[in-house]
Amino acid sequence: MNFISIVLAAEDPSQSHHWLFPEIGEIIYGSIASIVIFSALYKFGWPAAKKALETRTAKIQKELDDSAAARRDAESDAVNIRKALGDIAGERARMLAEADTQAAAVLAEGRARIAAEVADMEARATAEITAARSRIGDELRAEIARLSAAATSDAVRATLDDRTQQELVDSFIAKVGASR
Amino acid sequence: MSSQQVNAYVNAMFDIAIANDSVAVVEDEMFRLARAYESNEALRSSLSDSTLPTDRRQKIVEQLLGGKANNVTVQLASLLVGTGHVSLLPQVADALVKRASSEKQLEVAEVRSAVALNDAQKTRIAEALSKATGKKLNLKVVVDPNVIGGIVATVGDEVIDDSVRTRLDQVKSRF
Repeated sequence: MNFISIVLAAEDPSQSHHWLFPEIGEIIYGSIASIVIFSALYKFGWPAAKKALETRTAKIQKELDDSAAARRDAESDAVNIRKALGDIAGERARMLAEADTQAAAVLAEGRARIAAEVADMEARATAEITAARSRIGDELRAEIARLSAAATSDAVRATLDDRTQQELVDSFIAKVGASR
Repeated sequence: MSSQQVNAYVNAMFDIAIANDSVAVVEDEMFRLARAYESNEALRSSLSDSTLPTDRRQKIVEQLLGGKANNVTVQLASLLVGTGHVSLLPQVADALVKRASSEKQLEVAEVRSAVALNDAQKTRIAEALSKATGKKLNLKVVVDPNVIGGIVATVGDEVIDDSVRTRLDQVKSRF
């Protein structure tokens, strides 16, 4: 009886001594065949399966590592971006504050310069007014003095007749003669 | 250069005046001519005008002094005009007076008066100034209307001013 006949016979409940358990011989042949098959599978199939499993495991692990590295990179980039955003905001605030400071300084300097120029102009104008007033006063006094002197000279000339002139000459002679 | 020219003219004029025995007259007339030259703008311009021919200017001098001044004085004044050095006339005249006075051991006393002085007044003034300065004087009188009244006397570096002009100036300076 070949193996096929055994199988066929086994499927026929009427040909078996028990509806569930095969015959002893079939159990032995089947066991041996199973052992051979499992041994062959263990010897030839298991390494390949194990290798494939290890390869897949390594691939998955690599993908996991790559994902973790990518995540770390992404997180690092995110940190850098957040930091950069923070720096930009700080720099913007600093530049605005610096601009405000410079604008305030320029404004203050401009106000001070204008105030100084105005003060200087006022001082010069005051000095010029004072000088002009003084000059005009001096010129007026000089003109009055000149006119007065001219008028006095004319008046004196008019009053100096010959007799008075001679008296002045005699007065000179008397003064000089009496000086020693 | 000007001082050398003045000295040269003075030496020459003094020698000429001595030779003609007219030192006193010449130095007095030159002195008066110099004062007229200083005070008269028209005379100064005419004698200094280089556009006028020299002989024309010399003619002016001769006409001005002719008959009134010693001939030596006229010729010496004409010489200054002819050589183009009439501007030196005041310096030359003053130096000539000083030289002539020095020869006589006299000091020059220039008296400026508003009016002409008679001989008696000149003598009294000379005596008074001589007494005041202790020097023998060669009196030179200049009639100067600017004095207005009174007299201004200069003896060497000393000035005795009793003029109305100075009194008016003093009043003017107080304004």
